[in-house]
Amino acid sequence: MTLPPAVGARDHVQGPASARVTLVEYADFECPGCGQAYPVIKAVQKAFGPNLRFVFRHFPLVASHPHAAMAAEAAEAADAQGKFWAMHDRLFEHQTALEDADLQRHARKVGLDLERFERDLRTQAYQARVREDAAAGKSCGVRGTPTLFINGVSYAGSVEREALVLALARAALTARESHDNAALGT
Amino acid sequence: MTTPPSVRELSQTAQRKIGRVTVVRLTAYYVCAGALLLLMTGLFPLGPTPPGQAPPPTEMGEALTWIRGQLSLFPRGAPVWLDAVVQMIAAVLLVVPVAFVYVRTRTRLKYDHSIVSTVIVLPIVVCAIVVVVRDSLALAFSLAGIVAAVRFRNNLKESGDAVYIFGSIGIGFATGIHAIAVATVLSLFFVLLELALWKFNFSAEFEHTFARLCMPSGADLAAISSATGELPIPVTKEEPEAEADSARRTRLVRVYVDQVDQARPVVEAVLQRDAKAWSLAGTRPSDGGPGILEYRVRIRKRVDLDTLRERLLREGAPHVVAADDSPADQL
Repeated sequence: MTLPPAVGARDHVQGPASARVTLVEYADFECPGCGQAYPVIKAVQKAFGPNLRFVFRHFPLVASHPHAAMAAEAAEAADAQGKFWAMHDRLFEHQTALEDADLQRHARKVGLDLERFERDLRTQAYQARVREDAAAGKSCGVRGTPTLFINGVSYAGSVEREALVLALARAALTARESHDNAALGT
Repeated sequence: MTTPPSVRELSQTAQRKIGRVTVVRLTAYYVCAGALLLLMTGLFPLGPTPPGQAPPPTEMGEALTWIRGQLSLFPRGAPVWLDAVVQMIAAVLLVVPVAFVYVRTRTRLKYDHSIVSTVIVLPIVVCAIVVVVRDSLALAFSLAGIVAAVRFRNNLKESGDAVYIFGSIGIGFATGIHAIAVATVLSLFFVLLELALWKFNFSAEFEHTFARLCMPSGADLAAISSATGELPIPVTKEEPEAEADSARRTRLVRVYVDQVDQARPVVEAVLQRDAKAWSLAGTRPSDGGPGILEYRVRIRKRVDLDTLRERLLREGAPHVVAADDSPADQL
């Protein structure tokens, strides 16, 4: 796998840019594996606090998950109203309810302007944005979901809490060592 | 305000499920152990009378005994050591379900691992003592003298654990005097009774037991007080909630650090200040990776877990990388 694209302004990011470790997730809202990874990542974010920056990127597996693309667009439509993470959480917590009517209900629960949300979905305003994420993922070797990158390196280990925390902690320390060595000029 | 539960509700909350796996495993075990014991006692008949010397049978029961005697490997009686081995094996086979039931019926807090090994080993020792003493009055007095000279000052975690010790002694004693059938009955009754008592939770607090035994199922719990002649005591669900809250607030906190020795004083200073109680559960050195400090922590009400974690990360920087937590019973 090659390096994923650098974290930019268009990304959905939680955590400070100065964090010791960056976790990038390519995920699909309808993928059960991503659903299982969701609480793990939440817990990991709590465990690391400001030491972790989490980046979410779309990778809807449209062939096997018919609602995934629309759910990703719904999340982007929510982002347009400043509620991406609320919608992200809501979608993962209701993975089996991703029909159009369900998305409307989620939007109402999250507190979106329903008219605007509906229009954005109808006109597929964010389809290109979702496809860009997926294309970038493919270009760096993402084939399934969830795919995680820790400080730019693909993580092939178990997406379970203890294993992931350990891997992130190791990456955080390695990053600091490199930073210290660079500062010392060694 | 919570409404007091009725007697029926209280009785239902007191009941526990034994579980299909437990029942199936115990049944299968007893069937296998029974078959093995029958085989062993058939091949190596126990007791002082050599079965092979029995007179020719005249009745069906005697005939079976005679046939078993003819089939046995030692028609003139097994040697003493083999006799003792068979008795000890029988004792262990019959006491294993007792230990199993001990594990099944104890909670993490009430569980005492030494009881399990004691219950399994004790019948062998008792059996051996009985085999040695047998009919000798002199040896029995010597044994009494030795036992009196040894003082055991070990407090049991649960008073109910003593029953398991006595059950184990009983099985050892019965097998030691060749009464394997009695030991089997003791083991079976013990297991069934302990499971039944645990299932119906007759050792629960007074309200549960009194309500189930002495009150009609639809009665109001307030009637307990009038039935017992006491002043009414409000029965609420606060106690189990308080217990659950206490369990929720005891966490296993894993602190991931770069250098264990440098991070530990900082982390423990934060815990000392902000946790209600804490103890170090273990450390993992940082050999090429993050070191891990594991603490069992009781969280204060005014400093919740998230705040404590945030303080560990902030005040422990740059040594502390992460602070994860899990329920304390995962330790």
